[in-house]
Amino acid sequence: MLLYATRRFGLALLILIVAVTVMFLMIRAVPGDPVQIMLGPRATPELQARLTAELALDQPIWKQLLIFYGNLVQGDLGIDVFSGRSVTAIVFEQLPHTLALIFASILWSALLGIGLGAYAAAHPNTLIDRIAAALSVSFVAAPAFVVALLSLLIFAVHLQWFPAIGAGEGFWGRLDHLVLPAFAIGLSWVGYIARLVRASMLEVMGESHIRTARAFGIHERRVVMVYALRIAILPVVTVIGVGMGFLLSSAVFAEIVFARPGLGKLVIDSITTRNYPIVMGSVLISTGLFVVSTALADLINAWLDPRARTAA
Amino acid sequence: MAKSRSELGQIVTGVARDPLGLMGLIIVGTIVFCAIFAYWIVPFDPVGMNIKDRLQGPSWTHLLGTDQLGRDTFSRVIAGGQVALQVALPAVFGAMAIGLTLGMIAGYGPKWLDNLLMLFFDTIRSFPTVMFALAVVALVGPSLQTVVFVVMATSIPTYGRVARTQTLTLRNSEFILAERSMGASMKRILGVHMLPNIVGVLAVLAAMDIPTVIALEAGLSFLGLGVKPPTPSWGALLKDGYSLIRQTPWLVVGGGLPIILATLGFTFLGESLRDVVDPKLRKQR
Amino acid sequence: MKIEWTKTALGRRGFLKGAMALGAAAALPMGLGSRAMAAEGGTLRVRSYGDMQSIDPAFSKGVIDEEIHASIYNKLIQYKPGREWDWQMDAAAMIEQGDDTHIKFALRDDIGFTNGFGAMTAEDVKFSFERIVDEATDSPNKPDMGPLSHVEVTGEREGTIVLKEPFAPLWSIALPYITGNIVSKKAWEAAGGKATTDPLAESGPYLRDSWSPKEKTVLKRNPDWKGEAPAWDTIEILPIDDENTAEIAFEAGELDFTRVSLGSVERYRAGVPNGGTLLEYPSLYYAWLGMNLDHPKLQNKKLRQAIQHAIDVPSVLEAAYFGAVEPSTGIIAPGLAGHRPQSLVPPQADFAKAAELLAESGETNVTLKLDTLNKTTFTTAAQVIQATLAQIGITVEVNVLESGAFWASADNEDLQLVLNRYSMTPDPYYATSWFTTEQVGHWNWEQFSNEEFDKIHAEASQLTDLAKRDEMYRRAQDLMEESGAYRFLTHEATPVIHSAGIVPALRPDGLALLRYFGKA
Repeated sequence: MLLYATRRFGLALLILIVAVTVMFLMIRAVPGDPVQIMLGPRATPELQARLTAELALDQPIWKQLLIFYGNLVQGDLGIDVFSGRSVTAIVFEQLPHTLALIFASILWSALLGIGLGAYAAAHPNTLIDRIAAALSVSFVAAPAFVVALLSLLIFAVHLQWFPAIGAGEGFWGRLDHLVLPAFAIGLSWVGYIARLVRASMLEVMGESHIRTARAFGIHERRVVMVYALRIAILPVVTVIGVGMGFLLSSAVFAEIVFARPGLGKLVIDSITTRNYPIVMGSVLISTGLFVVSTALADLINAWLDPRARTAA
Repeated sequence: MAKSRSELGQIVTGVARDPLGLMGLIIVGTIVFCAIFAYWIVPFDPVGMNIKDRLQGPSWTHLLGTDQLGRDTFSRVIAGGQVALQVALPAVFGAMAIGLTLGMIAGYGPKWLDNLLMLFFDTIRSFPTVMFALAVVALVGPSLQTVVFVVMATSIPTYGRVARTQTLTLRNSEFILAERSMGASMKRILGVHMLPNIVGVLAVLAAMDIPTVIALEAGLSFLGLGVKPPTPSWGALLKDGYSLIRQTPWLVVGGGLPIILATLGFTFLGESLRDVVDPKLRKQR
Repeated sequence: MKIEWTKTALGRRGFLKGAMALGAAAALPMGLGSRAMAAEGGTLRVRSYGDMQSIDPAFSKGVIDEEIHASIYNKLIQYKPGREWDWQMDAAAMIEQGDDTHIKFALRDDIGFTNGFGAMTAEDVKFSFERIVDEATDSPNKPDMGPLSHVEVTGEREGTIVLKEPFAPLWSIALPYITGNIVSKKAWEAAGGKATTDPLAESGPYLRDSWSPKEKTVLKRNPDWKGEAPAWDTIEILPIDDENTAEIAFEAGELDFTRVSLGSVERYRAGVPNGGTLLEYPSLYYAWLGMNLDHPKLQNKKLRQAIQHAIDVPSVLEAAYFGAVEPSTGIIAPGLAGHRPQSLVPPQADFAKAAELLAESGETNVTLKLDTLNKTTFTTAAQVIQATLAQIGITVEVNVLESGAFWASADNEDLQLVLNRYSMTPDPYYATSWFTTEQVGHWNWEQFSNEEFDKIHAEASQLTDLAKRDEMYRRAQDLMEESGAYRFLTHEATPVIHSAGIVPALRPDGLALLRYFGKA
């Protein structure tokens, strides 16, 4: 297990390095000059030259990459030359907003999805099962930004149940402001998780130990809740791990529509302004998050199900 | 399990016998029909403007109203189906073909190649899609081809990983071991014995992946990274609908409904297909 | 921190205003079931389209930063809220033009800086203005200060601004806008000459209380402010780039003031939710279709003229701006010197003439690329242009770009047609400055190069004779249009909405002057 964990995290680190390097090269190949965009039309040539030098944009690309990794090893993501603030600070003040959003989305969609899936599996091929299936599939298709916008119009403007924009203040305020965005980007996951749980539960319930449990006269509800569900949840763990990456993408939409601060918006803003240090800082953190969460999911799986250890 | 004509017939019959499968078949059939014959069906030219009639609500002339340029939304929805399939089919089949090839190589080839390919898959997967898309679009400019490329690139790992797992499983299965002991060439083993088995699995995956791809196109369009105007895509409709939602909700309805319908259709079809083709596959995806 | 000020008493007018505001707030009806009326509790919530960049006026990024700077710093003169461009005194107790290049001023004696940096003196004015033009500062706002030579300090609170040559925009831009903000010399010198995102010393009616990046900037009433008391205890500036979201936030009662999209004007004309009010202001922006004169495909002047005549501006405006804006005649908006009453090519398309010009040009099978930003307004306008040009047989391919790539168009050698929009300050010199030969390769994407135009740009800003300036800038725009490289579209408009509890104070172009916002 320890060996497996070491190898898995070694792989994660390798993926991170490759991904960040690729992104570094890609974003540099894109047309657009950060100095020109950020300083606007009236920057003096001297200032442009100075910032170009500060950003090391006048260096060959391999040297820029070396500088980037050199700084990174020292735990330094550099300085945002335009505001004079440290990139680490800029990224980490946005990160909690996005993490809170992602966790809230995963939490409610997993709870509801597992419930729906388990219920459907316990009553296969009934009307309720079918309705749940159809509903959950249509949720999968709803683009996050459309759900976000509609829920904003309905729940914030017309009903005024929830606040419309921003991240709120204080614990309850922040929670209040999380409801609609988390609803918007978690919705498509409800259906996805429900289907996954239903499928794996149906399979598990056909297996011998469940049949044994039943034969011993254990109450059906207990069989479903305790024996079948525990095993059937396994694939959900993996999916949630991978889901972190997708949720990071959909967080962008929720952050735009709800005018929330967050990593997604930081990424979009920094890419469109070609603010390379911030792009790289946020790429590093978001790919890092993804890589670590998938690795963790794999580890949890391996811990729960030894067969998986050899597969990866 | 090579599919002869009669076997294909059996599959279709099997799907059609399942009510959800039938529904999926009908929806997908309708979408494909509309896409192919779009320019015969549409009541108006999907790119024809009539600014005087802009932002109208539904009426008998304009079933879904008109957009900010006075274009008929219903016609744009129909024509948008064509664009959706133009993006989804090449992207999904491209990703499937590449994923299949790479996955089989990874599963059957030497260990170092396997590791390298897995690293490749995981790397692509680890980029947040939006970030990757932004960079690619900024690099080569937005167009239908760019969208296809982005969608394809981001879905290769899914197919690659499944194909690899399948190859690994089959590699040690009895009938392949038997073939090998009889001295069959690698080409024969991969091409004749393994490929048909894996393609079946991937085809099911592909059917269910098409709506994801369509939704991804919509997301890219929302960020202004989608197809070129005036191309009528569902995503472009949603994007315009988003900016104009306070004026008319019908553009969002027009762009959103077909995406939801397509998702339902392809998912039902895919699930039913899976049950018919291989009931053991339930856990995949 | 205690500062020695000679005058302390709170102005009676300010006191009365505050008392009246209290009464008004008490009488304000509270909607049942509404979550939060934004104007409640002395907090004004306004939307800004972007987040703060710098707290240092020398590195201000324009309107977004200026809204904050104008509230926490003082200037000799400020823009006067209203429908006509005008200025009023702020930190200056006296200011007068001696001759064309000398402006005398005297400071009020009751303005002090926070953090113990003492009273505002003429030395601070000298420092603030001179650092803008100092090479070593590298301020992107240097052009706004124009030909400033130096500031002569003649007394503790008196001085003279000395220009190298006359500079008309001094009164419309240099003093009342970004570069006019007076900072504390001591504070800046103590910090090494530059501020980043935290204020070193403030002096305005409001103080920057906190900044949560991409979330909000909070301004609080300055307790030591001795001028006319500001109406609000707290101002929250929320960066929201999407107008849809801003409108929704307003309707949900979470904003008091925001610019709205032109598409919503019609709806808001019928009534603004929560008892709010719609105000329609003109705008100084200018949008146009440009043609790259250096591109091989656009060498034929007759072809360019055909394109000018084939674009139907009213249709473009009807579709992209919902008919809520007027066609423009050039780059200088109505109300400013140099505005042309009409353009050479009328806004309506003349397809017969366009076809004739195209035939004369001898060009056939013309296919052109039109670059534009990925915003619905621009893509809609581009599609209308595409459709109208198709009528005379010119095929246009619309090329939508995200902002990063779009603003790098100067490096794009294949740029053909471009749908563009520039911002503007209230002086014509600012508009012409982007279309000079010097700007080729930077912001003059049409590569327009005309000696007479360059000469006008160089000379007209030094004139103080308004009629002469007016004539020269009009001539400059004629030259642009005659080159065939431009089809002017619109100056857009600035519709804003505000909630019932507030009295907005706006520039004639609808931009907020937050320090003067009042309570209803």
